[in-house]
Amino acid sequence: MTLTNTGPAVELIDSFAAGHDKLWQGLGECGTWWSGADRVAAVAEGRQALCCELCRTRSEVLSPMMVPGEHDSISNLSAPAIDLIHRLATDPGRLSRKWASQIIDSMTEEAYVELVTVNCIQYVIDSFSRCLGLPLRELPQAGEGIPSRIRPDGVGDVGAWVSQSLDKSLANVSRAASLVPDTESLWRELVQMHYSRGPEFADLVWDRALSRPQVELLASTVSALNECFY
Amino acid sequence: MTNGDLLVRYAESAVRGDSDLPSVRKEVELAVGTHGLIEAAATVSAFEGLNRLADATGIQLDAGLADESADFRTALGLDGYSGAASTTSQGSPGRAGDVMGIFR
Repeated sequence: MTLTNTGPAVELIDSFAAGHDKLWQGLGECGTWWSGADRVAAVAEGRQALCCELCRTRSEVLSPMMVPGEHDSISNLSAPAIDLIHRLATDPGRLSRKWASQIIDSMTEEAYVELVTVNCIQYVIDSFSRCLGLPLRELPQAGEGIPSRIRPDGVGDVGAWVSQSLDKSLANVSRAASLVPDTESLWRELVQMHYSRGPEFADLVWDRALSRPQVELLASTVSALNECFY
Repeated sequence: MTNGDLLVRYAESAVRGDSDLPSVRKEVELAVGTHGLIEAAATVSAFEGLNRLADATGIQLDAGLADESADFRTALGLDGYSGAASTTSQGSPGRAGDVMGIFR
């Protein structure tokens, strides 16, 4: 894509680029439950999912579990982790509690949520590039360190598939990744950058290049295409 | 809504990875400017992620949203989505006094 204007648009794209650079590198850092190397592997696997023949075949049938097989994977992550990453990328609207429970049993719910959050961040940043016809980023550098495996306080069963913050003042979508606060902070920053942008989110009239109704039309169209009930 | 149809086409092409995405992108840029195109890309990509996080964690619809949408969810076919099973309360139809307050 060639930007046809200068000035504010270039500043905006530079702002996104700088923000994405920081968050992208954050994906490669050692997490709470996954090492930096594993997180980079997950990012790579998330991209690979879009080329996976099993995922493509499953997307065309009534129930994805009707099609057995192995994913076309490129990492040494466990089979459940690869299944999670691939299905998250290619068929998120048909994930089930039963399936999630099986994955969680293989890795713990904390590790599950961190892996989901890492790959959601990856998907957003890559999707932004695809939307604008920009090249995808090189994989982040894997950071050193050993995961602390510390579970935060104040989390528990709130009716979701995984434990989340018990703070009822938060909307459910705002606490979806609260089981892994360090990785969640990257996610929050990304959503703020792309969509909510602080207190102005509560306003129905936005001072942006697109009106609020236009933005919400895009949001609801994407959500309908992904069959996201929430 | 101004450029509504075009923005829907852009979202569709982007989410589906359609071959016409470059040409639709160009149309969007001509219609809403480069700044608008960037905002559109930011929104589409954000919700690609938000949808996935919601679906993978099985979050329930907040009570206020369940009430607010109870009367049109069925009409729009939303209750047929796989993710609908995560929400246990169907809600009572009614307009919430402050829907945006759910997200503060």
